[in-house]
Order: sequence, then structure tokens, then C-alpha cells
Amino acid sequence: MAKVKIATDWLAGCAGCHMSLLDIDERIVGLSELVEFTSSPITDLKHPPKEGVTVGILEGAICNTHNIEVAKQMRERCDILIAVGDCATFGGVPAMRNLVGTDVALKRAYIETESTVDGVIPDSLELGRPLDFVVGVDKIVKVDLFIPGCPPRADAFYYALTELLAGRTPVILPPEVFTYD
Amino acid sequence: MEKKVPLTIDGKNVEATAGQTILDCANENGIFIPTLCNHPALSPIGACRMCLVEIKGQRNLQTSCTFPVTDGMEIQTDSKAVIDARKLVLDMIFSERNHFCPYCEMSGNCELQDLGYRYRVDHWVFPTYTKAFPLDATHKYYLMEHNRCVLCERCIRACDELVANHTLGLRQRGSESMVHADGNIPLGESTCISCGTCTQVCPTGALFYKRSAFMGKDSVTKQVKSTCNQCSIGCGTEVVTRGGNVLCIMGDWDAPVNKGLLCKMGRFEPLYDTRPRLTKPLLRGKGKSEEISWEKAIQTLAKQINTIKAPEIGVLAGSYSSNEALYLIKKLFNQKLQVSNIGLINTVAPRIFNKVQSKLEDITKSDIILVVGSDPLNDQPVASFIIKRAVDKGARLIVVDDKKNGLAPFAFMNIEMADISTAIDVARRAENPFILYGADITKAAIAELKKLEDKVNYIIVESGVNTVAAAALGLNNGYDPAALKLVYVLLGEQNCAGDDLFKRIPQNAFIVAQASYLSELTEKADLVLPAAIWSEQSSSLTNIEGRIQSINKAVEPLGEAKPDWEALQLLSIQLGKDITVSIDEVSTEVIKSLK
Repeated sequence: MAKVKIATDWLAGCAGCHMSLLDIDERIVGLSELVEFTSSPITDLKHPPKEGVTVGILEGAICNTHNIEVAKQMRERCDILIAVGDCATFGGVPAMRNLVGTDVALKRAYIETESTVDGVIPDSLELGRPLDFVVGVDKIVKVDLFIPGCPPRADAFYYALTELLAGRTPVILPPEVFTYD
Repeated sequence: MEKKVPLTIDGKNVEATAGQTILDCANENGIFIPTLCNHPALSPIGACRMCLVEIKGQRNLQTSCTFPVTDGMEIQTDSKAVIDARKLVLDMIFSERNHFCPYCEMSGNCELQDLGYRYRVDHWVFPTYTKAFPLDATHKYYLMEHNRCVLCERCIRACDELVANHTLGLRQRGSESMVHADGNIPLGESTCISCGTCTQVCPTGALFYKRSAFMGKDSVTKQVKSTCNQCSIGCGTEVVTRGGNVLCIMGDWDAPVNKGLLCKMGRFEPLYDTRPRLTKPLLRGKGKSEEISWEKAIQTLAKQINTIKAPEIGVLAGSYSSNEALYLIKKLFNQKLQVSNIGLINTVAPRIFNKVQSKLEDITKSDIILVVGSDPLNDQPVASFIIKRAVDKGARLIVVDDKKNGLAPFAFMNIEMADISTAIDVARRAENPFILYGADITKAAIAELKKLEDKVNYIIVESGVNTVAAAALGLNNGYDPAALKLVYVLLGEQNCAGDDLFKRIPQNAFIVAQASYLSELTEKADLVLPAAIWSEQSSSLTNIEGRIQSINKAVEPLGEAKPDWEALQLLSIQLGKDITVSIDEVSTEVIKSLK
């Protein structure tokens, strides 16, 4: 049987969810007999393959135009999209800036901090444009499964993937790994 | 007898008391209905709609916290319609303001979070963060974070119904609604009396303590039930500690005296006490004092006591002395060493009536309340909450005091002690008068009050924390400093009373000060014994109602400080007058003396 393909990527996040995915430890060996991790921010291949994957995993919130592109590409190229972590599910820490507004947050971060001299707000065309409002992934693309947690527990990843491999949907996370913090 | 009605909840046949709400009936029968705005100590308002249930014959789902049971009612608490409605409600509550858990102080102790887990809220369904609310950090002891508020109004109800202070209210409407103090002024500048009851009922992280913020949720802290020793009311507390440090003090909802309430004196001030502590026994040599061991301190003291005669020894017990310490003073000094010069640092209120005292909760049943020569609002605040509650319900308060009295603004009449007969005339016409009097009462006033003996209920409001026990043990008569060569002062946590205290200690006497904090007395004392404070000892206190309640050790004593009674016990062993003391033994003795 062909291996099930998985692609992961991160948006406005801290990489903590990917670290937690790796925290499934030696179980990843057994898992890799059944699945193939195609692309991820920590592999050579950065974009999900054009021919598509079965499971797409996104970490981080949507806070700029680049995040929207990445989320849309992942959605197009996967069958099942999982939003992992509090940022992807709720907006998380990046969404704190919604309470002050993007302009104020940028000004504070790049110009007004006590240690900054002659600060500039980066505005290169190569960079994604910050959005006025930070949102979870589901506000941009359809999400099939949410795994909250900051970070989600390694056991939550493992549980969700093994359930999907066994063909059991919807995935109902057990209470001990359903957590917000 | 209460009328019972049969009904079914989730197909189960149950019996309810007529007039009961569906929620109360379900709880009694072990059927869980989730709630958020409801609180057992507060009247229900049906604001949050988490407790919705389906009732056969009713067109809409109903809030079980406010809906009374009826005969033959058929209720569903977990039908699909109910669950869907609760989820919708929860999604809406989560969408307003900021209910993101990871950077919230209450994460782990939050009732909204519990509901999120129960109903699997794993993303925001509706747009969130659409409006930022301010954070009110003006209060000395707590923060009001409006972004975490769910508008359950528990804080407002607690301020109104339990404390009767009416500081908190609600302004604006709908999603713009905000809890405010005194019609929108900063909490720190408002009429708030810092009792902290609002913080204790808040289900989310909207009201929380500054001092203990982010120091650990319930699962990593220890909670020790104890009794507050800051005044003579003896409120039940829950001392929260972590790693040997006290984080905060909560009111114990199960405590019979305060039923969960505390005041600023009990909840916050002990945590902010900056008086320097005494941590080692000190012996004054030539001019300056030096640190010594407990062993040497007790030996020195025993030697001093053995070299003089009983009439030359005096003992002064402070207001904070525990039942155990007072009992030991009586046993050791009075009975074994034949010392009769035993007195109290604070005054004792006289006994006027030849009948049993009432309980504090009886105040609410009275129509006229007389407060004579005592100031509960400043000295026993939790008692003043009960009085203010009664006043809210229509009781008339008469304050008889020659000094400025905290309850004066709430009184129907403010009278000077000399004119007390006016108050007596009013009380005589009342059906159920209640008197609270303290040590400031005058002889003339006592004579007048005596006239109400037949119909009155009363409580003696002692100003000293454990004065009831001290007086019951007979430690308040016969102190005469004239011939004393050694005075043992059991000051404990009390502030040194200054000149008043020194007048009672002869110039050349050997002063033994058993105290927790550095003071004028410990500076002058020849021997200083460091005393443990409220959080560091197991002992017991007798409150003004005569209840004997235990203080339980929450943390280890600082340095070499010891509980007041332990030092006395060591002394008794050193003197060869070994007295075994157990809390049970003391309780029996104090109860016997109170009768």
C-alpha cells in the first residue's frame, strides 16, 4: 500500500507546534512506515507537492498576505486540512495585536521600542503585507480538524494521525489532550 | 412541612420542594446542569443562558437557574436542542472580548474555560476581537480586566447582596456593557472597600489579585483551610500557598461565620505587612541585644522566674494570643506558679445581660439594630456587612457612639452615649431589637441597655481578637504592676500599644516579649522570643459568638519563630511543671469556662 502523504507548513507561529509534532519521539519511526512527510519548513522541500497530499497541517495565525497565500496553497493541495495550535485555531498570541490595531503594533515594534534608534517599518515588496486583523486559519480556508493547544500535546498529534490512518472521522480528541494552554 | 412535588428530569423520577428552581432540584439529585452566571451564594438572574433546559409544554428553552419547578414537570437537560443552544451561547460568549486562555491569569481555574472544554470549543465561530476594552489597574489589590469579562454580574451581585456596598454596577447596553464602579470612576478611587468578594466570585480572569497573579493555578498550589486572626469575628479562610509561600487568602464558602466573605484586613493586609519580623530569640546584654538559641532563652527565662517570688511576676496577654497560649498562661503561671498578676493588653467589654448571646447571622432577622460603643465597619468589617445587609432589607440602624463611627452614614439615628435613652425608647417599640456593643460603652449606657433585657438579642463585640477566650479563662482581673520584677508580654502579631503598655510595666522590671514583629517593646525587652504569625502555626481562636475555630499551619515559621503556645510549653518543661496541651484539651477547657 502506498504511504499516506503529509505536508506541513507554518504561518504566523513560533514553530512550537512543529516541535511538539517531533515530540511524538520514537513513535515517528512506526508512523513513517505508514506516512510520508513530503514538505515542511524543516525539510528541503518547502511547498506541498503539486500532485497533492492527503493531510495538510498548518501552524500559526493568518496575519499577512503571505500567510493567506500559504494557507490557500495548502488547502488546494491537501484533502484533509488540520489547523494545529492556538494561533491557527484562535489567532493566538499574534491576535493580541487586534486589541491595539496593526499600525500601532508596527510602530511600537519597529520605531518606539526603547532600544531602537532610527527605526523603520519594513515595507519591501517581497514581504507579505500585514493585515488589519489577525485571524485563525479557518477564516481564510476551510479547516477539517482543529487541534488547539499552546502547543498541542504530542499525543494529540499522534492520536489524530493514527485515527485518520485508521479511517476514523471525525477525530474526537480525548479530553486529556484537548487543551488551550 | 415543606410541600413536595413530583417531576421527571431526563426521564428520572425525582421529588422537588415547591418553589425550588429546576437547577437546585437537579443539583440535589446529582444531575449536572452547566452554569456560568449562577453562583450558590448569589440570587439567580438567568443572564448567561448556559443552564438552558427543555421543559415539555414550554415554547422555548428555559433557564433552569430561575425557573421554578411545578407538579409533574418533564425536563430534558441534555437533549440535542439544549446542547445546540448551549454551544451557540458559548460561541457567542467566546466571540466577545478576549477569551484566549494561554496568557490569562485564570487559565486552569476558569469556569468559562471549563465550559469550553466541555463543549469542545476548538475555534472561534463568530468574529472576535472586534473591540478592545480597558484594563483598570487603579486598585491597590486587584485588577479589573474588562476584556475578560462575560457580564455575568456576579461581582455586582456580590457587592450588592453580600457586602451591601453597592460600588459596582453596569453601564451601557448590549455588547458595549461594562462593569463599573460608582457610575464610571476608576476602581481604585471608588467607594470600594477592598473586601475582594468580587474577585472571589468572578468566573473568569476579569477580576484577579495583583500580588498572586500568574503564580500558579489550583492544580499546582496548596489550599489550607484556616481561620482569620485579624479580628474577633474569626472568618473561615483558605490560605493558598506554593513552595512555602503564601500566595493569597480566599474566604471559605463553607465557613459558618462569614460564609465566604472576607474583608480587606483579612484578605489583603496580612500579605502586604511590611513590619520587620523577629526570627531569633534575643537577649539584652550590656546595652545591646544578641541572638541566642531557644534553649538558652528558655533557660534564662526559667532562671529569672526561679529567682523571684510569685507576686513579683506579671503576665500581659495580647489580643492575638491563641486559646492554647491563654490556657497555658492560666495553667502554668496562675495554677502552678501561683501568679495572680495576669492581665490583658486590650480592654474587655462588660457583660450586661443574663442570657445567651445570639449569632451574627441573627442580625438579619432584626428590625432595629443598636450599635453601642463599637465600630464594626472599621474593626470587624465582616460584621458590618451583615449589618448593612439588614439595613438594605429595611432594618433601622442606630449608632450610639461618642467617637466617629464608620457605620454612622448607614444609620437612621446617630446618638451620643449620654443620650442613649432615646435609642432605648425606639428599640423598646421594635419587635426584634438587636444590640452589638463594645468596650467603649459607658456605665450609664449599660444601665439603660439593661432595660431591654427581656426582648433583646445581643452580641458583645470584643475589640481584641481572642479576648473572648481570655476573659472566659479569667485572665482579665487583678493585674497590678506595682511590685513586679518580671513581666512576660505575649504581644504576638499585635502592634505595640506604646505608652499605654509601658505604663503597665515597671521601669526596672525584666521584660520578656514574645512577639512577631520588631517594635518599641521588643527594643526595650530584656528577652525577646520570636512568635510565629497567622500562616505559620496550628492553634485555635474563640470568636465573639463563642465558636472555637482552628488555625491551620500553611507555611513553615520564618527563621526560628515558634507558635505562642509552643514557647510557653517549652518554659513549662524547663520549670519542671510539664503541662501537656492538645487542642482538644484546650477546647474543652474554654468551652467549660464559657458556660
